[in-house]
Amino acid sequence: MLKSNNIQIAKVHLTSKIWQTFVAVLGVTFGVSMYIFMNSFMNGVNKAQDDLAFRALAHVRIYNQDNKNDYNPIESQFDLSKTIINILNRKNIQYTSGLKNSSAIVSLVKKQPEVVAVSRQVNSSVFFRSGSKQVNGVVSGVELKSEDELYNTSLTVIQGEWNNLLKYKTGIILGKLLAERLGLQINNSINVLTSEGVSKNYIVVGIFESNLKTMDETKAYLNIMAARQLVGESSDYASDIMVNIKEKENTANYIQKIAPLVPFQVESWQEANEQLVAGSELRNIIAVAVSLTILLVAGFGIYNIMTMTINEKIKEIAILKALGFSGSDIMTIFITQAAVIGIFGALVGVILGYGISLLINMIPFTIAGMDTLPIFFQTKDFLFAVVFGILTTLIAGYLPSIKASKIDPVIIIRG
Amino acid sequence: MENTTSIEIRNLIKYFHEPETFQVLKGVSFTVNKGQFLSIVGKSGSGKSTLLYVLSTMDTDYEGTLQINGELLTGKTQNQLAAFRNEHIGFVFQFHYLLPEFSALQNVMLPALKLGKLSAEEIEHKAYESLRLLDLQGQELKNAKRLSGGQQQRVAIARALINSPSVIMGDEPTGNLDTKNSKAVQDIFKQLAHEYGQTIICVTHDPDFANNTDKIIEMKDGLIV
Repeated sequence: MLKSNNIQIAKVHLTSKIWQTFVAVLGVTFGVSMYIFMNSFMNGVNKAQDDLAFRALAHVRIYNQDNKNDYNPIESQFDLSKTIINILNRKNIQYTSGLKNSSAIVSLVKKQPEVVAVSRQVNSSVFFRSGSKQVNGVVSGVELKSEDELYNTSLTVIQGEWNNLLKYKTGIILGKLLAERLGLQINNSINVLTSEGVSKNYIVVGIFESNLKTMDETKAYLNIMAARQLVGESSDYASDIMVNIKEKENTANYIQKIAPLVPFQVESWQEANEQLVAGSELRNIIAVAVSLTILLVAGFGIYNIMTMTINEKIKEIAILKALGFSGSDIMTIFITQAAVIGIFGALVGVILGYGISLLINMIPFTIAGMDTLPIFFQTKDFLFAVVFGILTTLIAGYLPSIKASKIDPVIIIRG
Repeated sequence: MENTTSIEIRNLIKYFHEPETFQVLKGVSFTVNKGQFLSIVGKSGSGKSTLLYVLSTMDTDYEGTLQINGELLTGKTQNQLAAFRNEHIGFVFQFHYLLPEFSALQNVMLPALKLGKLSAEEIEHKAYESLRLLDLQGQELKNAKRLSGGQQQRVAIARALINSPSVIMGDEPTGNLDTKNSKAVQDIFKQLAHEYGQTIICVTHDPDFANNTDKIIEMKDGLIV
């Protein structure tokens, strides 16, 4: 009864100056919808960026490369202070790179529950030759099925088919720009020359377009068996093992578990691509900063409107107090108004934000394999926008309502 | 004796501090009995309005003591005083002071809804009743700001009466009314005092009004003459 009376008064206040209420609601709506739009857009951009980047990037890479230059058998044998050592023209002895017993490592790596896909590769720098044209690039021998699981490579093949590599032992799939530079089309033959001097002929059975320019310009896929033959390695050889795990942010955890078990270098995508991590982080910070600013500005707008309302109603508040309404009654009246404005504004804001995002998602944007501007919705953005919108409004209503509750009726009534 | 005393003040002293410290009330004491219709008169600046605001419990910045219905009100908190006003005191101000966005009926009902002793239906019924008594039939659902000055004043009186307060205070309650309406209000007050035993205190400039009351307190320079 008592409560509903205060709510009744709040309702009259809200409806008697409907335009003012509308402007206040609009303030919240604007803040909430912009927050949702900004975050959905940033998420979309990040996701598009990731999709693009992870077309050629595994979450974890295991490889074996000679990166030690400090091996010195002589210096380690003698006491340096008493010996003068002079070694002329020192050379490193041959280092066996690559993973000879790759299947053992694959089965070891696969044991971890968070692993989604594992693929072995045999990568080698080569010259692609066709007629008088010669282009240097990388040939990548892959396990077709698991490679596809890792990168969805089969989707990037625009001519021919990914599985042609299984059917034709001498088949090769070229990057689109590489094929253009060499003037090659499907079913043409191509010569590949390795750094060891091995030369072999292949038949173009497919052309892929990854939208990563460096890949499309320099890369070609072989079946892993064919690639082992090309580089003259055994049937269990791989130069890299690529691993994808469930959550790509959790690589550190995974690496901690497997690094002691694998006697080779284990590298996360974050380590290999710090610029990617930095870009994504910075975009997130910008998104949060911009959207919080919007919500804050909206909050100030509401604060102003509430303060204005209360200043306008100062006489009425005094009358209510003279009639026996307590300070907390007055606060209830104004906080109810703020709550109604906040809830209503937030709900409309969610709808508006969703609508704006859908509209933006229709704007054409045809760079790097995208069709339209990217939008990606996350429930937590919507929840946070609603909670923050309502909270800001409540605070913006609470502060002036404290002032209202302390109004001394006698000062106003005396005039 | 105890149960016939409505209002009792002892040695009331009040200062204004702005623009400079000035003693408005210089030790005022009196008692008002239940059912008495009392007027306070005096020149402007004599302290009569200030005295009324202290009596009304809205002004708490004074020295001395105030008792209404035997209850000591000096030193209570604002919220306690608000609750007390709601139940025991009705106000009629000089400039009617209705809530402009509410209908006449809502204005009258507000103090009773706040008190919460009756159901909304009973309160509505009672409000219609007292608006009719004050000759406001047909105006009940109009917004307060659309009523004429005299009508507004009568709505304010209806509002003051809704909780059947033991004390009704008026600050120039007939200041904005023509002779006919003024007379009607005086009659209502008289009736309330004598038939229902409600205490009525009005500050007034109007000598006719004052002469119509049971007792006149004249103020001069912060003292009762």
